Amino acid sequence: MELCDLYALELVRLVRNRETSAVEIVKSCLERISQVDGASGSLENPQITDKDKESVHAFISLTDDAALKQAVEVDRRLAAGEDAGVLAGVPFTVKDIFCVKDTFSTAASKILANFKAPYTATPVKRMQDAGAIMLGKVNLDEFTYGSSNESSAFQPSPRNPWNTSRVPGGSSGGSTASVAAGEAPLSLGTDTAGSIRQPAAFCGVVGVKPTYGRVSRYGLIAFASSLDCPGPVARSVKDAAAMLQVIAGADEHDATAAPLPAPDYLEGIDDGVKGMRIGLSPDYFRITYPDPASGELLSQPLPPEIERAVRDAAEKLAANGAEIIEDVPMPNTRFGIPAYFVISRVEAASNLHRYDGVKFGLRSEVPTLDLKEMYKFTRNQGFGLQPKLRILMGMYVSAAQYSEQYYRRALQVRTLMRRDFEEIFEPNGKYHLDALLTPTTPTTAFEMAAVYGDSVLMQYADQLTVPANHAGVPGISLPAGLDKDGLPIGIQLLGADYAEKTLFRVARAYEMITETEEWRKVKPEVLRGRS
Amino acid sequence: MTDYEAIIGLETHIQLNTITKVFCSCKADSWFDPPNTNICPVCCGLPGVLPVLNKAVVEKGLLLAHAMNAEIRPISFFDRKNYFYPDLPKGYQVSQFDQSLARGGYLDLPVPASASPEKQAYTRRVTIWKLHIEEDAGKTKVGNKRRFIDFNRCGVPLVEMVTGPDLRTADEAAQYLMRLRQLLRWLGISEADMEKAHLRCDANVSIRVKGDTRLNPKTEIKNVNSIDAVREAIAREIERQIREVEAGRRIEAWTLEWDEDSGTLKKMRSKETEADYRYFREPDLLPIRLNDEWKQQILADFPELPLARRTRFVEQYNLPEYDADILTSERKLSDYYENTVKAYGGDPKKVSNWLMNDVLRMINEQELNPEEMKLTPTSLAEILKLVDAGTININTGKGLLQKVQESGRAPGEIVAQEGLGLVSDDSAIRAVCEEVLAESPNEVASYKAGKVTLIGWFVGGVMKKMRGKADAALARKILEELLH
Amino acid sequence: MSEQITREVFDHLVDLAALQLDEEQAEYLRRQLNNQLKAIAELEAIPIDKDVPISLHGVPFEESASALPRGDDWKPYPDPAGILAQAPQVEDGYIVVPDIPHTELK
Repeated sequence: MELCDLYALELVRLVRNRETSAVEIVKSCLERISQVDGASGSLENPQITDKDKESVHAFISLTDDAALKQAVEVDRRLAAGEDAGVLAGVPFTVKDIFCVKDTFSTAASKILANFKAPYTATPVKRMQDAGAIMLGKVNLDEFTYGSSNESSAFQPSPRNPWNTSRVPGGSSGGSTASVAAGEAPLSLGTDTAGSIRQPAAFCGVVGVKPTYGRVSRYGLIAFASSLDCPGPVARSVKDAAAMLQVIAGADEHDATAAPLPAPDYLEGIDDGVKGMRIGLSPDYFRITYPDPASGELLSQPLPPEIERAVRDAAEKLAANGAEIIEDVPMPNTRFGIPAYFVISRVEAASNLHRYDGVKFGLRSEVPTLDLKEMYKFTRNQGFGLQPKLRILMGMYVSAAQYSEQYYRRALQVRTLMRRDFEEIFEPNGKYHLDALLTPTTPTTAFEMAAVYGDSVLMQYADQLTVPANHAGVPGISLPAGLDKDGLPIGIQLLGADYAEKTLFRVARAYEMITETEEWRKVKPEVLRGRS
Repeated sequence: MTDYEAIIGLETHIQLNTITKVFCSCKADSWFDPPNTNICPVCCGLPGVLPVLNKAVVEKGLLLAHAMNAEIRPISFFDRKNYFYPDLPKGYQVSQFDQSLARGGYLDLPVPASASPEKQAYTRRVTIWKLHIEEDAGKTKVGNKRRFIDFNRCGVPLVEMVTGPDLRTADEAAQYLMRLRQLLRWLGISEADMEKAHLRCDANVSIRVKGDTRLNPKTEIKNVNSIDAVREAIAREIERQIREVEAGRRIEAWTLEWDEDSGTLKKMRSKETEADYRYFREPDLLPIRLNDEWKQQILADFPELPLARRTRFVEQYNLPEYDADILTSERKLSDYYENTVKAYGGDPKKVSNWLMNDVLRMINEQELNPEEMKLTPTSLAEILKLVDAGTININTGKGLLQKVQESGRAPGEIVAQEGLGLVSDDSAIRAVCEEVLAESPNEVASYKAGKVTLIGWFVGGVMKKMRGKADAALARKILEELLH
Repeated sequence: MSEQITREVFDHLVDLAALQLDEEQAEYLRRQLNNQLKAIAELEAIPIDKDVPISLHGVPFEESASALPRGDDWKPYPDPAGILAQAPQVEDGYIVVPDIPHTELK
């Protein structure tokens, strides 16, 4: 097994024991990238070649020189007996929605293609301070608007390493694809409606949406300020926990970051689920989708393979001492997407106001003496379809005459969704659950271009993940088998505020129980034929 | 001839004198800095930045709200006001819309006779309709079909305070601004210098027939950069509106810009043609929670306000309004006055006379800070006591002011050392008087012939010979005796 | 069911948003918006008690989990020139943009 395929915590151990060096590890990752990643996303938009169709394309900017330099520095410090950090020598990729000093921080958009951030986002800084080594910026849906990564202005967009004719999911598609393909053991993504968990499920990796405010958003180019959560992507639960440990905590630059210290996530993580109460909700076993002809919203049961994976997980956890509570009501789950259409768009439209060509990013080259024209040319040229769509919807539903009908109402619905979670996790309540076990996504990875044109259908890919964003609660998606097409299935665990430690324990238990199952031996398509 | 009355409301933006901006740790004041040097990613609205509230902004806002008798909200919220403008980097201004720091409030504005059309002093209650915290935008210079933007001022903390349509004359508007400026400086929350844009004012003006109760369309006047300009601009606008109405035309709700150079009003095209700012709660900030503990902490040293003190000085110290006005115009001077009165124990009017004339002149000429003067209230009181006791005469006393301020020594000490004490020795003065009279036979003759005013001349002569140290009253008595 | 966002409303939104779209994009986006409104319409069907409060965030931000406002301490940013360097057009330290055509009457 190559260094780049090892777990982060294993690499930490090897580096600390001087069995390998940071430079060796980074070289291994760079080698893997050169083998499977293919062309990085760029604005040039070239014709897709056959080779492109078999490559991962996780990256927008590969900062290999800087990475090697950092690795050299880590090795030097270790040799000198200095503390090089808890993740010393571990490479990671960063979703290009984070500002990193002196790197292009593009949000996968033309409007920021030439923007070199003058400062570094707090979660990235914390990773670097812990000795982790950034390999580069990975691709995403433009401004994180999407669930397939197809809407990036930097093409080719990432492909699912398990089957490169399929999407990796989104918006953190580059993050999950890079980790699944062994390009890096860790990635920093963001989750606003499921943007870490959904692509994690599609790519067969672990993805965590922490509690809102658990990780600082400073430096995260904002989509929906009340929903955005930076979080870890990894190949194992313990790696995800170790990474969350590094990035979590208060930040003087973020007023919404909670001033609560993070508990030791790795402590007791292998303790198992004996006596824990894990719930299943019928509201998560039905999915909504828009009828292709009429657009009417219809309901149908979850695809049987996905439901099977969840129930199977429940059985296995029960066999290991957990108490499974069925029929847990989460009645407001189905309003997650409608409310999300309103709340996220209002915030997004406002957050995108600053992209006007005045002080950074793209300014239209079309000569004009009229400021308003400059705004229009710049924004028209710089924004792709998805940002335009969100801006327009945001303008519509936040107009004064609609604020009562749409925005205020959506915020009330958010309260209802929050109450669903409060009731099931309330220690003195009827259910007093430790975790809620659900599927992560209504389908496995769909084919590229299959969904893209239908914005409602695309948004409904997030219907099982978005309620947690509205409620602010933490969630984790972990791989739970493969479907008949060999595509990963993800299961999701949701918990109470700041209960990541509990979720890690349950997730780890599932991981340990299923450690020897056959599906864990299967590799993603791009990695087959390797030892 | 129809009688009209003017309806005036003032919208003021007050720049707070905190050290840092409202949402980032850049300096708040950058008046003298080169453009785009007092900036950071947050106040420039770079991608990914977040606002973090400055505690001192809330505290200073609270002091103002309390002084304006407004009701403080225990929980208040920030909202985004969305619009496009190049000096507004985020494309929205963080402000407070419907649940602001305080609600209601009023100022009982004293209008002096000089500012009153009937030449009679009166009070106008000015109600406050809005009092909220917001961030400032940057500055724009226009030239050659282009705009030049400076972000130094982005994020400077402002309190916006809007009055009801309660003012009735341009003079009242000027008085309101003067009192507001005084209050802001008194509370120590703003330098309130209109020329430096610490205090900005827009005026809303409409007219109606006297006796009518409806409000007619109003115009908004912007770009007035001094209290005089406000008065002038409002007066002209009232005239214009009356002219228009008399000519049978309607008043349109224009936005007008005051042109300082020409002294005229010009119609502006409003910078935001869209009135819908799509306000919504700022998700990047938590609500302001003003619990009782914090509130008490802030208000613990809340001072007596200038207008209240003015009334008290008149009542308690029997000062004329004119004196009380000057002695409560500025807080440090006012405290200085009162401390002197307490140390002196005598007639407060006497202290007032000394302070308003010689001491104030000294303060102004030498740009002294009353709090830091070497001529302390205690020293001044001592000088007054020495004059009262006849130890020195009044001219010597006045000379002592500068001597104490320069040396920092006690007045009594200086008097002793320099031998400034009054000579009250009858025989010594008598001898000099006789000398003066002997040297001036013509004047003596004139005096005896009836020109009795010459007594002053003779006293002057004695004082000169005795280098000002004679007890003047005694000298005069002796001279009169000798001339008799 | 008549579409909620008519061409007129749509064009107005485009203007408000400081965008300028070509015909094809405009039609596609308008159609998507109207489809999305159908999903949003679900919200209207929910029976909501009028005293259900709004939630600005999911987490309640109790006092222990709420950061306090910061102290009034000056921390000069080390590289303002770096920020200015991002601007597309700078002259004498100012950021330059075209003017807004003004109509001056009176």
